[in-house]
Amino acid sequence: MSDITLYHWEPNANSGKPMLALMEKGVVFNSHYIDMLQFDQHKPEYLAINPQGTIPAMTHGTRVLVESTAIMEYVNEEFAGPELMPANVEDRWRVRWWMKFMDQWLAPSFSMIGWSVSVGPMVRKRDLAELEAAIDRIPMPERRISWRKAIYGTFSEAEMAESQRRVALGVRLLEEELGKREWLASDEYSLADINGFNLAYALPLSQPHLSNDELTPNILRWLRAIYARPAVKKCWALGRTDMAKRVSILEKEHI
Amino acid sequence: MATVLYHGEPNGPSLSVLAALAETGLDIECRSIDLLAGERHSLPGLGETIARDMGIEGEGPVLVVDGEAMTESVFLAQYLDEKAGGVGLQPSDPYAHWEMMMWCRQITERLSPAAALLGNLKYSTPRLAETSDADFAVIGKNIVSDDLRGRWGLVRSGTTEEAQLADSRAKVVQSVERCENKLADGRDWLMGDFSIADLETYAWLAGMQLICPDAFGDAPKTKAWLARVKARPSVVAALARSTVADPLESWAPGPEINRWG
Repeated sequence: MSDITLYHWEPNANSGKPMLALMEKGVVFNSHYIDMLQFDQHKPEYLAINPQGTIPAMTHGTRVLVESTAIMEYVNEEFAGPELMPANVEDRWRVRWWMKFMDQWLAPSFSMIGWSVSVGPMVRKRDLAELEAAIDRIPMPERRISWRKAIYGTFSEAEMAESQRRVALGVRLLEEELGKREWLASDEYSLADINGFNLAYALPLSQPHLSNDELTPNILRWLRAIYARPAVKKCWALGRTDMAKRVSILEKEHI
Repeated sequence: MATVLYHGEPNGPSLSVLAALAETGLDIECRSIDLLAGERHSLPGLGETIARDMGIEGEGPVLVVDGEAMTESVFLAQYLDEKAGGVGLQPSDPYAHWEMMMWCRQITERLSPAAALLGNLKYSTPRLAETSDADFAVIGKNIVSDDLRGRWGLVRSGTTEEAQLADSRAKVVQSVERCENKLADGRDWLMGDFSIADLETYAWLAGMQLICPDAFGDAPKTKAWLARVKARPSVVAALARSTVADPLESWAPGPEINRWG
């Protein structure tokens, strides 16, 4: 029995980051699946762990840690196993810079599109009163606004167009960066690659007009190289929905 | 290795990085630039520009190392600390380190967009409004990022919604409350030991005393902490680089307000 428990949803976006970091380090942990589509993250049992109601969260003994990128940095520093931050100081800066750029600029646009085209319509099939009660339970007011927009699909056309613009530009910038070196931020595999894979693993499937072997050869090379890692196979095997199964697109020789 | 730190007046992110540099004692050439004249977007000798062009922080300082532009004040402070071999600006314990990074994220994601909005509206809008359309177009032409250029346009026009102003003021109040709570046990510095969290928080909060004085009305511990940070030799050295009467009145377009509401 490990004294580490990770509360996570699918190996995807934020949940997948600490999941994969723990597996790359070879750390044994208890996996506690939180079904985001059932709003498990806003139920009292989970709010007792993380009062902000965000996933993922990790407990290590009596410590409670939140925020996926910050948890990954803790995992890398706290536990033995392969080093996931480069030693070179410029490279370390570049890992951090890319993670912030992805977390704050690129990922919110990906997720706005994802919610609008897939998650939102799924959730909207539920009973309206049940949905409203679920939204009311969200502790942070900003998140209530975001969730309401996401659930009811009330993003404006301008907001969606801006997200599409950012995704297209972000894909181009990722492709350029991966043309400079083997991995995203340094010559070694790092937390930036774990972060980026969680953001982009289904890119050739969700945005085929932006990412494929012809348009973005460096992104495809990078995604396949990460997918080949044993820790990634173990991590994505913890997925329970079709969302995680999208990763198998990377098995195709030509996309 | 050719290294130059391009910085604005010592306020906001330029202040935290200049002070972090002074804490490390590293010998790095500093060049003062006029951020509000758009000088950050026409720096000489840059090879890799993505971090300058696409940084979340907006018009923060740029550290150029061998032609690569490096940005984001918290990460630059970490870089300088690590470059100097670790001078204690980051806790070595992983959990304490996580706490510091979480604190800094609260500051950079919540306080800094709010402070930048309020600071720019009060001090940058009048100056940019005096800039001719032709001169402003030249600045805009050099800015690569569409969203950053959009924020410059908003600052120049002074366009803002009352709800956004109220939200920004509320975020300043919340940040002061968080500081007051953290300092409640009588500690000198936010994380216990002095760290990047003190520099980054001070850099964004100090100027708010001019704009939202009421936020500090019931916060004696925060006011005493602000005075302690200001008296720190590294901060004194950073402030001495000011070329204006009061650097707390110097702002430039900052991070965007969260797009998800």
